[in-house]
Amino acid sequence: MILVNKDTKVIVQGATGKMGSAHTKRMKEYGTRLVGGVTPGKGGETIHGLPVFDTVAEAVRETAATCSVIFVPPYLALDAGYEALNAGISLLVLITEGIPPQDTAKLVAAVKAKGARLIGPNCPGIITPGESLIGILPGSIFKSGPVGMVSKSGTLTYEIALALSDAGQGQSTCVGVGGDPIKGLDYPELLSLFDNDPQTEVIVLIGEIGGNAEEEAAEYIKKNIKKPVIGYIAGQTAPPGKRMGHAGAIISGGKGTAQSKIEAFEACGVKVAKTPAEVAQRVAEARKQLARA
Amino acid sequence: MNLYEYEAKRIFAEHGIPVPPSVTVTKPEEVRKIHLGYPIALKCQVLSGGRKKAGGVKFPKDLKEAESTAKELLQLTIGGSKTKCLLVEPALQIARELYLGVTLDRNQGCPIFIASAEGGIEIESSDKVLTMPIPYPFHPFVGRELAKQLGLTGSILVKVADIANKLYKLFESKDLDLAEINPLVITVGDDVVALDGKIIVNDDSLDRQKYFSGWKEDHLSDLSDREKRATMAGLNLVELDGNIGILCNGAGLTMATMDMVKAFGGQPGNFLDVGGGSDQKKTLQALEIVNENPKVEVILLNILGGITACDEVAGALVDFMEKYPQRKMVVRLRGNNQDKAEQVLSKSGLKLIPDLEAAVKDAVAKSNAKQAVGAKA
Repeated sequence: MILVNKDTKVIVQGATGKMGSAHTKRMKEYGTRLVGGVTPGKGGETIHGLPVFDTVAEAVRETAATCSVIFVPPYLALDAGYEALNAGISLLVLITEGIPPQDTAKLVAAVKAKGARLIGPNCPGIITPGESLIGILPGSIFKSGPVGMVSKSGTLTYEIALALSDAGQGQSTCVGVGGDPIKGLDYPELLSLFDNDPQTEVIVLIGEIGGNAEEEAAEYIKKNIKKPVIGYIAGQTAPPGKRMGHAGAIISGGKGTAQSKIEAFEACGVKVAKTPAEVAQRVAEARKQLARA
Repeated sequence: MNLYEYEAKRIFAEHGIPVPPSVTVTKPEEVRKIHLGYPIALKCQVLSGGRKKAGGVKFPKDLKEAESTAKELLQLTIGGSKTKCLLVEPALQIARELYLGVTLDRNQGCPIFIASAEGGIEIESSDKVLTMPIPYPFHPFVGRELAKQLGLTGSILVKVADIANKLYKLFESKDLDLAEINPLVITVGDDVVALDGKIIVNDDSLDRQKYFSGWKEDHLSDLSDREKRATMAGLNLVELDGNIGILCNGAGLTMATMDMVKAFGGQPGNFLDVGGGSDQKKTLQALEIVNENPKVEVILLNILGGITACDEVAGALVDFMEKYPQRKMVVRLRGNNQDKAEQVLSKSGLKLIPDLEAAVKDAVAKSNAKQAVGAKA
């Protein structure tokens, strides 16, 4: 497993909002070590049995939390992120969709300067099955096992996790990095974390059209990653110039096509699956090969 | 949101970036009232690119020619975008052209200057382009460094640096995805002027940019009528040429479903992402929009209920099938409240297929069946 486990102490920024509250309840039921919520003006109250604090600094002082999952509205997200960083939070999980990308760019710069980590924005979060669920992923789909997953998508990640779990291929940790063009953690760092994680045997990388992060990841894998990587790229039938739901999912000026990404993967030894069910088959094959070796 | 050139230039001027004097006209006879001297430039105001190649910019020599040219240009449609009006400017005495732009770089995760000592070019296909990251917090030395690297000197260096810095401030303060001056011209009198401009405003920022309040509907020209309505209803719709209407939750899953339809021999008719946590009402609205597309023969609904409750979706389906009992429909629902959904659906006679590949294959078979019958007739 990477980044989070059963001991990771988590606070929720925006815990008393509609979405924040619903997912605080789900995360708590899953067994995530939630230690508090933060909503300015509601300090002293409780939500789903957790203490609510006015500021992140107070929450960190009282609970020693190291991770914050952020559910605040888009235009408040930059401020919430700065607040978490300033209070010493080392892992920010930013679920919010629709954040102005220049705000994200400012937050990413601040995260780097502090040596912290940001997952998201516009992402489902992170799960280490059986230990910790931080975000909005449906916990029941994920099973513990040897497959590390990194993905730009939410529901597609669930679909592939479902196919893996159905096929008896559990997961070490799944990270949804989000569908925005500007984001925190990206493929290379996560691939490297999985490569060094003893539990992970095979890595699944779920990409989509837009940008060239998958092409760069392919080069990175060829040079640095020892474990087998299975790739999947969404958007082979997407027309050029149209934004396909995610802010970052757009083929522009002939760049960022699924074809280019698939070719880059194949050229660097990453096997590419065409359907979610095929991802599970490829993972099983890769594990068989590892067992033989 | 893409802006017209005349809007971009008005915003440039408001931020202190020099632009030529100009007037907009919507009727040919309006050029009679213009006193900019001749020759003048008449420029079609469209949201599409490739305007010059399509004959959308003309330089008439006198009033008579200007009026007939204006008449012709006002009727022009370029790349699907109708000419909204003409921008009229004096033709400048150009000594040199540059390119200058600001955008966010996905790979570096920060704003960058893009610049070239050659202007009026297609920047994506040019190799004489330099890029420079703009670090936070912003300081004006970055503009000077850029002008220096472009090989500029003296008063031109100072003027271009100032324009670059103003362009960045505009980019930041108005939440733009792109601010571009192409070309930025140096006149024979050593003035530096933005001759053409392009601005793309970030869509997610529109609600906090009061300046653009109410602009959105007028700037959706590249969308079909249904796509426009979907956008205004908070749904992501992209229409394609196939006959299988696709409705899913989540952008990645929607794309993956389209890809599977194609891989199993079908033709996707659209991309429609209803988003996470959609309720019965929003799902019904989405179904109606897909249903209106005359090319669509079969609707494939694929929902993996994480946050979305399957029974809410099933409720929308029952309402929809009551209104359109003839519609061929394939339903794949799995996840949150799947059992309840199955009970609800049984009322409408729809069968629920929990396996994704099985559902896609069923939709493809249904779409091909109709074509085969049509071919025989």
